[in-house]
Amino acid sequence: MMLSILDIIVLLLIGLAVVGFIAASAMFLIWWERKVSAHIQSRLGPMRVGWHGVLQSIADAVKLLLKENIIPAGADKLVWWLAPFFAVVPSVMVFVAIPFGKNLIVKDLNVGILYIMAVSSVCVLGIFMAGWGSNNKYSLLGGMRSAAQIISYELPLILSMIIVAMHAGSLSMQKIVAAQSGYWYILHPTMTLAFVVYMIAATAEVNRVPFDIPEAESELVAGFHTEYSGMKFAMFFVGEYTNVFLISAIATTLFLGGWHGPILPPALWFLIKTYGIVTVLMWVRWTFPRVRVDQLMGFAWKVLTPVSFLNLAVTGWLLLK
Amino acid sequence: MINRVKNFGIGAWSLIKGLAVTLKYCFKPAVTLQYPTQKLPMTERFRGLVGLRPEKCIMCYQCVKICPTGCLAITHKQEDKKKTLETFKYNMELCCFCGLCAQVCPTSAIIMTDIYEITVYDRKKLAINLLDPKKYDEWTGATIK
Repeated sequence: MMLSILDIIVLLLIGLAVVGFIAASAMFLIWWERKVSAHIQSRLGPMRVGWHGVLQSIADAVKLLLKENIIPAGADKLVWWLAPFFAVVPSVMVFVAIPFGKNLIVKDLNVGILYIMAVSSVCVLGIFMAGWGSNNKYSLLGGMRSAAQIISYELPLILSMIIVAMHAGSLSMQKIVAAQSGYWYILHPTMTLAFVVYMIAATAEVNRVPFDIPEAESELVAGFHTEYSGMKFAMFFVGEYTNVFLISAIATTLFLGGWHGPILPPALWFLIKTYGIVTVLMWVRWTFPRVRVDQLMGFAWKVLTPVSFLNLAVTGWLLLK
Repeated sequence: MINRVKNFGIGAWSLIKGLAVTLKYCFKPAVTLQYPTQKLPMTERFRGLVGLRPEKCIMCYQCVKICPTGCLAITHKQEDKKKTLETFKYNMELCCFCGLCAQVCPTSAIIMTDIYEITVYDRKKLAINLLDPKKYDEWTGATIK
């Protein structure tokens, strides 16, 4: 297939729009998280830069851009340098299959869910590379924990997503949304369970409290990104918040009817639902303490995975009946 | 088995209760202040910088004697039976804000003000002449009770 110059320009514009949205969204989420955490703790949070501190994230980004990039003496330079890209690029790539509206999707892949799961799994590679490349015991432990955790929780995550695919009869994200035009999938009893399993597993996937053992401050300093500074640290940070947005966007698409909704435009409905889930995740983060490593792995293998398998079997039986 | 299910239920309910607590606090007003623009009013017996009401001073030197760090210094002159204050120096660098001078003063000429922002760029400014009415203009919110 030959690409004309026009095609390349269109592709570049789409890419710019996606990357711009990711940057803006991550900055908004960082500010929003700081505000939510502050109010939960009876504080005010950032108040000085702009109205109620809305421009705080921009100020922080400028600060990070100007900071020195320090490479640890014993670091594996290539791996260390590549790690932030491996952490960010997969989350950007997942945006391809996220439907923001009826036609507002970069490319409606017919293997949407499969693509999303396959690409987002690469994130763990970035985290492990960062842990390995830093040549720091805390980073390495953080990276190892992260790899173990993400691989364990991927199973219940995928199993709960398969239930949606079974109901919709398609892996394409747009077709799943179209199948929910009458009622949201979350209202279906087996789907409610699948949604709960998905949310727990997804929280663990993006290393957020109560499953944030890869970056447990009290044990591992900052985990895999201990040795990163400046823009490389910012990339991990943006990647983390993009992943939070993504798991919420996928939950919206699969369980909450995607962009369907009355009166307001579809894209707005999609964003309202997504940011609503993100806010719930933040609420959870600032409420619960961190779980222990053995509890975390035990919960994945002894509770979530069997429950998901059972749920899958029941769904299959209900569909065939 | 029944016990495990029961424990699981109790655990899940406690998580929901925890969420309810944080949600409640989320909508309560913040307890913090935006410090340089908003300030907490100091309590009545707060011990800030030492202040002086010169007209009340009877030059008994009790404050100079009781001061544990020796940060106060007074001179006066006497004509017949009338005493007048000449200098009343207060070396803030040495002051430990114990409030003994204000306690011992028989006429309450010495008081503890509510000034607590007491940093300066020049060390010389730490030696204060308490007879100067503008002595605390350097520090904002200067009120002498």
